[in-house]
Amino acid sequence: MVRDIALGQYFPGRSVLHRMDARVKIVLLLLYIVLIFVGANFAALLLTTASVLFIMGISGVPVKMYLKSLKMILFIVLFTSLLNLFYGQGEPLVTLFGFMNITQAGINNCIFVAVRIATLILASSVLTFTTSPTDLTDALERLMKPLTIFHIKVHEIAMMMTIALRFVPTLLEETDKIMSAQKARGADMESGGLMQRVKALLPILIPLFVSSFRRAGDLAMAMECRCYRGGEGRTRMSSMHMGTLDAWVIGFSALILAGVIVCNLLLPATIR
Amino acid sequence: MSLFIHADHVSFQYQTDEEEQSKEVLSQVDLQVRQGEFLALLGHNGSGKSTLAKHFNTMLLPSGGHVLVDGMDTLDEKAKYEIRRRVGLVLQNPDNQLVASIVEEDVAFGPENLGVPPEEIRRRVDDALKAVEMYEYRRHAPYKLSGGQKQRIAIAGIIAMQPKCIVLDEPTAMLDPRGRTEVLSTIHKLNREKGITIVLITHYMDEAVGADRVVVMDNGRILTEGNPREVFSQVELLKTHQLDVPQATELIYRLKSCGYQLPDGILDEDECVAALEQLLKAEI
Repeated sequence: MVRDIALGQYFPGRSVLHRMDARVKIVLLLLYIVLIFVGANFAALLLTTASVLFIMGISGVPVKMYLKSLKMILFIVLFTSLLNLFYGQGEPLVTLFGFMNITQAGINNCIFVAVRIATLILASSVLTFTTSPTDLTDALERLMKPLTIFHIKVHEIAMMMTIALRFVPTLLEETDKIMSAQKARGADMESGGLMQRVKALLPILIPLFVSSFRRAGDLAMAMECRCYRGGEGRTRMSSMHMGTLDAWVIGFSALILAGVIVCNLLLPATIR
Repeated sequence: MSLFIHADHVSFQYQTDEEEQSKEVLSQVDLQVRQGEFLALLGHNGSGKSTLAKHFNTMLLPSGGHVLVDGMDTLDEKAKYEIRRRVGLVLQNPDNQLVASIVEEDVAFGPENLGVPPEEIRRRVDDALKAVEMYEYRRHAPYKLSGGQKQRIAIAGIIAMQPKCIVLDEPTAMLDPRGRTEVLSTIHKLNREKGITIVLITHYMDEAVGADRVVVMDNGRILTEGNPREVFSQVELLKTHQLDVPQATELIYRLKSCGYQLPDGILDEDECVAALEQLLKAEI
């Protein structure tokens, strides 16, 4: 139950996307996010969404996994698109309850918002499904390296992220164990009002906190034993380099970028 | 065999904020660990055995006396990382020692900290994983492995730093019997084949039987030391300090106290069976 969290789960494989340089993937994800929000008409939106769907197809990750991550944001998508439905300017097509106007612009907004959020989540899922957490943090560390001149502790941030990701499954497992242990002692977590349920969480959170601190102490010692002394003078086993594969994917994405720009210039904007 | 670690009159007490007298965890401990030996450090909870072990790689510093590792004093701040590279410490809970989400990246953590060049790290990681027989799991996520496997990866992470000595602080306490056997056979193999000095801290007497030398600690002092046969034949001494002896030794000891004629210094099941067989044949 607590383990059914799909977002940010790595799905090992050997597809084109798995073999790409993680830095390129991050930069391209940023590009796609920009494209998703820049496309101002249906043609541009269709082009970006189709290319994201195509990339999902070649990622070798089962569609079920993507649907799972979509399911988690289903509510947000429905809520925001519904809101948008009623906030369109112009001539109302239908009026509900005498004050809620549905306009053509509102319908457009609704579709755009829904597709944009869904595509955004799918595109980010492609990154997290095809990149191991360590590669991801490693790539972020390397991409953020220039920030060290502003005295931002890039290595430390990346290390914290690595450790956080490493301990997610461990702590979930522990939560499960504590919940079972408390249930075995008669703790009731399924009934009662909101306040009662929040209170019922305390006997789970307190042991979890205590054990997390103990783990942190142990981990710090284990890291010191292995001569950890911050980012200075540290080398990495895997060096990242871009190959022809990355060049092809960059080329493909550049074409999509050009396509979106052309769509925006040639066709009238349906949304602003 | 040459001297590798020398604890010279080591005393230790935890610093407390209040003025009250804090209890000495270690008092005047003298211990020598020789290059290439397999030393078992025994004692029950609170005997100071873990505290002593943490002195061997500067995780704790003595409040009195000195610890010399390969000729370097642990109180010398400059030698700190050199000592930690030579003496690796493996802790009890395997889950809390793994840093990365992928086995081989975790093993690479130590050498990465030491600034080893990438190709060399790759080679060391592969060698270390092969040495603990976990090579085929190199791309796995640690949380999906068993306790024994995780502990072997923690050991591989230490081996990748190419230490001369590995100190293991109750490495099997949280494992099932199978994981325990895996870990023990791994450390015996490392000692035998790579000549790595092993200091195994444990409260399982049966694990100490395979060691070259056994040191028993009680109440912050060394109670007795010697080879396993010498130490475990002092059944009465160990019992007065609430310590166990291996099961085979215990059985023979009880039979002897009932008046049966049996030899001293029985350590494992095979010896026990042989002794009992002889006894039964003589009876008939």
